[in-house]
Amino acid sequence: MTINRREFIKANAVAAAAAVAGVSVPAMASNFITSSDLTKLKWDKAPCRFCGTGCSVNVGVMDGKVVATHGDIKSPVNKGLNCVKGYFLSKIMYGKDRLTTPLLRMTNGKYDKEGEFTPITWEQAFNVMAEKAKDALQKNGPEALGMFGSGQWTVQEGYAAVKLMKAGFRTNNIDPNARHCMASAVGGFMRTFGIDEPMGCYDDLEAADAFVLWGSNMAEMHPILWTRLTDRRLSAPHVKVAVLSTFEHRSFDLADNGMVFTPQTDLAILNYIANYIIETGRVNKDFVNKHTNFKLGETDIGYGLRPEHPLEQKAKNNGKTAGSSTSISFDEYAKFVSTYTAEYTAKLSGVPEHKLKALAELYADPKIKVTSFWTMGFNQHTRGVWANNLVYNIHLLTGKISTPGNSPFSLTGQPSACGTAREVGTFSHRLPADMVVANPKHRATAEKIWNLPEGTVPAKPGYHAALQNRMLKDGKLNFYWVQCNNNMQAAANINEEGYPGYRNPKNFIVVSDPYPTVTAQAADLILPAAMWVEKEGVYGNAERRTQSWYQMVEAPEGAKSDLWQLVEFSKRFNIEEVWSEELIAKKPEVRGKTLFDVLYKESSVGKFSLDEIPEDRLNHESREFGFYIQKGLFEEYASFGRGHAHDLAPYDRYHQERGLRWPVVDGKETQWRFKEGTDPYAKAGSGWDFYGHKDGRAVIFALPYEPPAESPDEEYDLWLSTGRVLEHWHSGSMTQRVPELYKAMPDALVYMHPDDAKARNMRRGDLVKLISRRGEVQTRVETRGRNKPPKGLVYMPWFDASRLVNKVTLDATDPLSKQTDFKKCAIKIVKV
Amino acid sequence: MTDNINTPTDEYHVASLVAYCMQDQIGEVTQAINAIEGAEIHATSVEGKIVLTLEGESHKTIGKKMDQLRIHQGLINLSPVYHQVLDEGQ
Amino acid sequence: MKKFNLITMSSLLIMTLAPLFYVSTAISADKDTINTVATLRDHTKVDEQKTPNTIPQVMNKDIKQTRNYPMQPPVIPHTTRSYEVNTNSNKCMSCHSRHRTEKSQAPMVSVTHYMDRDGNFLAEVSPRRYFCNQCHVTQVDAKPLVENTFTDMHSLMKNKVTSAEKD
Repeated sequence: MTINRREFIKANAVAAAAAVAGVSVPAMASNFITSSDLTKLKWDKAPCRFCGTGCSVNVGVMDGKVVATHGDIKSPVNKGLNCVKGYFLSKIMYGKDRLTTPLLRMTNGKYDKEGEFTPITWEQAFNVMAEKAKDALQKNGPEALGMFGSGQWTVQEGYAAVKLMKAGFRTNNIDPNARHCMASAVGGFMRTFGIDEPMGCYDDLEAADAFVLWGSNMAEMHPILWTRLTDRRLSAPHVKVAVLSTFEHRSFDLADNGMVFTPQTDLAILNYIANYIIETGRVNKDFVNKHTNFKLGETDIGYGLRPEHPLEQKAKNNGKTAGSSTSISFDEYAKFVSTYTAEYTAKLSGVPEHKLKALAELYADPKIKVTSFWTMGFNQHTRGVWANNLVYNIHLLTGKISTPGNSPFSLTGQPSACGTAREVGTFSHRLPADMVVANPKHRATAEKIWNLPEGTVPAKPGYHAALQNRMLKDGKLNFYWVQCNNNMQAAANINEEGYPGYRNPKNFIVVSDPYPTVTAQAADLILPAAMWVEKEGVYGNAERRTQSWYQMVEAPEGAKSDLWQLVEFSKRFNIEEVWSEELIAKKPEVRGKTLFDVLYKESSVGKFSLDEIPEDRLNHESREFGFYIQKGLFEEYASFGRGHAHDLAPYDRYHQERGLRWPVVDGKETQWRFKEGTDPYAKAGSGWDFYGHKDGRAVIFALPYEPPAESPDEEYDLWLSTGRVLEHWHSGSMTQRVPELYKAMPDALVYMHPDDAKARNMRRGDLVKLISRRGEVQTRVETRGRNKPPKGLVYMPWFDASRLVNKVTLDATDPLSKQTDFKKCAIKIVKV
Repeated sequence: MTDNINTPTDEYHVASLVAYCMQDQIGEVTQAINAIEGAEIHATSVEGKIVLTLEGESHKTIGKKMDQLRIHQGLINLSPVYHQVLDEGQ
Repeated sequence: MKKFNLITMSSLLIMTLAPLFYVSTAISADKDTINTVATLRDHTKVDEQKTPNTIPQVMNKDIKQTRNYPMQPPVIPHTTRSYEVNTNSNKCMSCHSRHRTEKSQAPMVSVTHYMDRDGNFLAEVSPRRYFCNQCHVTQVDAKPLVENTFTDMHSLMKNKVTSAEKD
């Protein structure tokens, strides 16, 4: 066997090198393995299934199974590298407990909310689903229907779901789990620039002189971007790295200036930097005069809790005006931030003055090109939109924006949070291409593209993520479909909202997933899903890069993609069952048709024939529905953004490229938006053109520090921050099933300062209970791990299905973005 | 550094590389590659790219062979692409 | 390279028996694990919690673990507790760098680590590979929660070579 194996790996080696060189290897050489049919390995590209970095990987398929994966050397994102999770992608589809049949809670052969999960056929599953949906629709109207989707859906799946919910069922109760991760970033972009997503791109990593990490542990959460940052820092000695967090973590290993601040005081630090820039006379006046406006934002906006919560009763402006603002002058703004002196900020934040000054100087010095990165530290924040606005302030005051290396850069958690959740607009208030349901013109645009009568799309925004759980609990949301996420584990306050909501006898909960997750366990019907390269799709990463992949292997018998599930389910509804007579009268030809006909097959989604799919390609959904559905969905969706600064290339081109960054105009991608010369939408002679706002100007917001929703007190005396780890992605539903990743990080421990442990008579490994006002979770103490919290704060990751830290967390949200703050709540820890 | 490349091991190493050479010196570079034990050329292109593999029994032998090649005057760049070790002692 | 010898042939014969055995055991085990829920929670209800196990030990036996496929980064077969890898020092490289392996007898970092982003070959390990623990991880002594049925290409090939032999 030895010789065979040697020849085999040698052939792989040759193939890899030939691919890099773009040289074709003569047949003799590439086939020198004996009986080559037996050993044929087919390589193909796909974006990684995990985070928002959007690495490209090469996937090796043999015999209908993925047998190998490695970093794609042709990808500009990762240039051949992967993180440890990415290197184990090959194994994520092969956990032994893959679901292969629908499971319904039943007693004596009939559906019973309290019954045991029992295998049923897809036919039976759709029967009971349709019955429950129609029942809810009839009794309580479209608002009783809801869906919770994902930034891990493919673009096509997200688009098909939006169309089904917003146009088919005529409810805006669809929200993605990206609400938990990106909503504040979206709010920040829309408020400051009037258009979503970063202006810069990953090329900033090789161009910047300084990097500032604001509540982002890139070393663990965006490892490949961290390799690029590390490369830059170690290759160019003048480069400086500043890291801010509420606890010390792995990114501090590279920090020239590491700062641990008291939770929530990042707002003050951001204002201090603005003040420092003004006081030291380093405002880029020319830029500010030409390209910005100043506004004073509304304050005291509450914490996005239930209205009866004392904090909401107390808040003055937590209603519709929470996001409003009034114009002010530069001088008024300068006066506003002048209270954020070094002394005040140092005292409030706990960061020494000299460190704050060194940080501020990176922004203030006109010679330093600075890139700011942030993720959940900013976004999962009851003032998340503000934090985003405030970091843009300092880039705008100095004009350090939209040029190589000068980049305020919001990183993404999910592989297609940008592509599917944001660009497609799978949010309860959104439509594709940054449009919103509340705007009648936007609804009209959607109805026109969808060829549906005026008034099809409802104007009222639907229930967002946190509100969905509350409405489930209150019995207002009765038919609920969860796809491609694990929200029972992921959402805050499981005990008081999520779990009672799912188990409310008034509701019917459907969960689609490849694996039996915690969410599936809380459902009434579980649908087995196909995943990743078992289907064709498109993802959009954090730098606006759109990447596609082909289906490479068959899903396990019985498992179906989310796309197939959505579209097949639509066949169960006649238009008359979901639309009013009044609406049908505006377009009588839809009478007697199903949602499948109207939304997919007979719309522009259905216009591409199967001939366009390469013959040797699998494509389960298209071959079953009779048209190239992924292309149809993509092209129809793309028509929303073309010509409106969201241009996408023709679908087929994405199969050839390692992704392209939108807007793609005249076949060319865009690296830096809003800058004349690099962005085709920036007007000639403008220099910079923030065209998201009509006057071409970005907004600098005066917004204060306000305290968090819940702070430690005498009884609940510790801060709790939650988050991820390198080895597991999100809830661990894929990575916990890869033995190597499981064994690298098997359990979620609570990371504590040794003195805090000692004061409670605890040692490493002790069994403890974390208790909040909402619930408790047991785990073991870690005092010497990779995270080193300061005294008074503990950190516990949420990947562990057996230790649900979200039983403890608080479902306070940013009132503007409706994103939950998972980083701050008050707890106590006791020994068990 | 002592030269112990002949110490027998149970390992089989294969590395594939792309050599970029001056177009007019492909011949010389090819010769140099062929002179190295365990080196094999799989393809060359007119622009001066050579796809080759190096085989050996340790990291060190592979590294040494690469160093030997790297200093060739006709070579602009040598990029390792792939490297695998087969432990045959099991 | 085209050496066919007796060793190859005999090892092929040995392989013929093994796969049959694996197939039968796999099927009988499936019934317990397929289409059940809460596999990662040891079948505990959502509103309950099983007492957390103790923190497992990191395996420290220095026995190399076979890789699943060529480009998989090898896992670390020893503890890395209090290893410093920061701007000042990289403890891993004190054994695994090219100059140190002779003394340490540790495996040298792969030659691919010498390539920079643009494909140039460097004299030292590329800075983008500096933080070893982004790809290489230690392993604790614990049984996986769920079995993984991934099959590597060699096993697949072996199976096929065997069935081809039988035909």
